[in-house]
Amino acid sequence: MKRKKTKNRGSGLAFLLAVVLAATAISGCGRETQTETDLSESGKTFVFGDTTFNAENGEADINPHNGNGGWACIRYGVGETLFRFSDSMETEPWLAESWENLDELTWQITLREGISFTSGRALDAEAVKECLEDLVENHVRAAGDLQIAEIMAEGRTLTIRTETPVPALTGFLADPYACIFDVEAGVSEEGIVQGTGPYRAVSLTTDQELRLVKNENYWNGEPKLDGITIRTISDGDTLTMALQSGEIDGAYGVPYASYPLFENENYTFSGCATSRVFFGAMNFKSGITSDPAVRQAIAMGIDKEGFVETLLGGNGYVAAGAFPDSFSFGGGAVRAASYDPEGAREVLEEAGWRDTDGDGVREKDGTPLVLRWLTYPSRQELPLLAEAAQATLEDIGFQMEINSTADHNRIRADETAWDIYVSAMVTAPTGDPEYFFKYHCLDSSSSNDGQYHSDRLEELAGELAQTFDTDRRAELAVEMQQVILDDNAYVFCSHLRMNMITKSTVTGLTAHPCDYYEITAELDMEG
Amino acid sequence: MKRYLIKRLLLLVPVLFGITFLSFAMMYLAGSDAVLQQMDATGLALSREALNAQRASLGLDKPFLVQYVTWLGRFLTGDMGTSYVSGEEVFSVFLSKLPATLELAAVSMILTLLISLPLGILAAVRQNKWSDYLIRFASFTGNSLPNFFVALVLMYLLSIRVPLFPVIADGTGWKSVVLPSLTLAVAMSAKYLRQIRAAVLEELGKDYVTGARARGIRFSVTLWKSVLRSCLVPILTLMTLSAGSLLGGTAIVESIFLWDGVGKMAVDAISMRDYPVIQAYVVWMALIYVLVNLVMDVLYQVLDPRIRLGGEKA
Repeated sequence: MKRKKTKNRGSGLAFLLAVVLAATAISGCGRETQTETDLSESGKTFVFGDTTFNAENGEADINPHNGNGGWACIRYGVGETLFRFSDSMETEPWLAESWENLDELTWQITLREGISFTSGRALDAEAVKECLEDLVENHVRAAGDLQIAEIMAEGRTLTIRTETPVPALTGFLADPYACIFDVEAGVSEEGIVQGTGPYRAVSLTTDQELRLVKNENYWNGEPKLDGITIRTISDGDTLTMALQSGEIDGAYGVPYASYPLFENENYTFSGCATSRVFFGAMNFKSGITSDPAVRQAIAMGIDKEGFVETLLGGNGYVAAGAFPDSFSFGGGAVRAASYDPEGAREVLEEAGWRDTDGDGVREKDGTPLVLRWLTYPSRQELPLLAEAAQATLEDIGFQMEINSTADHNRIRADETAWDIYVSAMVTAPTGDPEYFFKYHCLDSSSSNDGQYHSDRLEELAGELAQTFDTDRRAELAVEMQQVILDDNAYVFCSHLRMNMITKSTVTGLTAHPCDYYEITAELDMEG
Repeated sequence: MKRYLIKRLLLLVPVLFGITFLSFAMMYLAGSDAVLQQMDATGLALSREALNAQRASLGLDKPFLVQYVTWLGRFLTGDMGTSYVSGEEVFSVFLSKLPATLELAAVSMILTLLISLPLGILAAVRQNKWSDYLIRFASFTGNSLPNFFVALVLMYLLSIRVPLFPVIADGTGWKSVVLPSLTLAVAMSAKYLRQIRAAVLEELGKDYVTGARARGIRFSVTLWKSVLRSCLVPILTLMTLSAGSLLGGTAIVESIFLWDGVGKMAVDAISMRDYPVIQAYVVWMALIYVLVNLVMDVLYQVLDPRIRLGGEKA
């Protein structure tokens, strides 16, 4: 009896061990097979780590018609658009050779000759028509932006007729969602499309990696690398260490705190200001921020320079308006209130906001000057901005109540729950100013939760929507920004500085103000 | 025994119902949803029409109870739904992540036992000698260090200073599993060490050990054949607790090392309010905790017949 029990115990343990070992073996085998790819890893290859290439950002794959897949498609050199943005954020032809407006509703675009998709099919107007029709049918923003009524294709000539005048059409056609791919070849199960870019995608695992090989028939110069691997590395510290250890050759999204590790001759930085801006929107239904003097004091009471230099460590650009300097209608083209705490105190005094009980917080008619600052923590800069503003605004007599919450979207819809809503949004994804005003500042805007209204702004927006002349559009953009700044309806604090860091042996990876173009045929590595 | 097993398995039904309802309610109360979270992540505003259309297509415009009942109805027919974020089928996504988690759990557990068993025994046998103090100090230190810190230290030492293992543990090649499993093993070994030491010390103080000594049986024979066997029950208890958390994925370690397991999947899903994926994870966690505990209860009886299950009479 005793011997039998001993044997049972032994076999039980052996079974347990066997299960553990089998699990290891099986799981190991499965994963080995999963990562197999037909990509040749020989030759000159480049590995790029990116914190943003993931489903969370809408980039589950590189299909431009699925969420924000177009960003990955264009950034990693798979897809190209009919138009692109120049360094000064003006649209210029790319796959298109030329274009003209036949009338306010009709656009005639001539395509370049000699371009093929990586599927082998030649790029012609019919292929572009198929792609744009698929885009409008499937993409959440495209139909509303493009307003396409009809597309006609003949040889290399594409004619687009819109339902209403769309002056910014070339900008919309430069948006990553408008990457042109071979719809006939389809979208693979992994979400891979066949574009016209310098590289061809050969395998994709969502939230893991994308593998690319050289497009041997690229139309715009010979790509210098044989293969590229894009790795999704969502954790900033891991990205930093992967670059330090040499597992990756370049990185996008390295945390600011890690920059000093790479500020030496072994690495190269490429950065520029993007149109993502950290800004506050005032609540015009609030008893506090409906007072023009309070809004003016807030605009004068935030030390933007201190925030950028100290809390962001210089990794940002002080903002005046909605758009950065790289835009003809951005940066210094508008006048914004500068940091002036003494002036802000005077403004509040004159408006009757005084600290009568000596507790450091001003009051008016028995109402304390409490500012409910609503923001969210998913952008690392936003809580820092809240703290910076708290320090300077409390110094001039405000009492700040910061609510940094992931539930901000529900709260901002309740006009009684906040006074200023501070967010980080892209103001000109298509290089055109209309987008920002359309979505944030007008009576019809989906994000105008503070219910700001200006007759003048509505009038100018109406004119902007009908204006085709680029210079006039830029003038209108400046005037519209000035209207909202003069009303202190918005406070623009800082523009995001986008940086890519590479080993010093890497050349041709250059940051662009629109943040769309990363991997091009020019990308190369020594050795 | 059979009745006991059936009873325990039937308990799964109310557990699953309760836990899925609670998790659904908590995510709902946390506010926001997958569409709004994605808008924040990209920084691109959507028109009201586009927002409403997207929310309606995912059923997010429906009241809470309707959303839960819809999910439950599908779940009962074996359909775990599709991810709100990636659009992929939840069940196949979950299955694709599971092998990585199983691999990491198994290797971490083996490493933990390899580290903690000999050191725990050594500390007990050499009680109050310098080696005991050293091991206890190491155990105390290992217990105090958070996983993410250990991960970063190991990365720095073994990937950057001495490049032995990769920072990116993508599961290809045996080297990639070393750092994540070692990170987990450091914390677990610290706990195991103390428990094993205490269990061995308790056994060493018992009369049968003194008797064996008096009969001239070598100490090593008593230690390996009697003492350690008696210590198996507390070790199994520890393993049960660890297995539950390991099989549920170790979110921080998986995220840092880019180990593509269910823990990382769950954390990503929570941040994006991806309800179907969160629910799949919750169901998995409930299943593993109930099943692992059940298996261990049965093993207890196999290891120590004095233990009776579910009020069985000896």
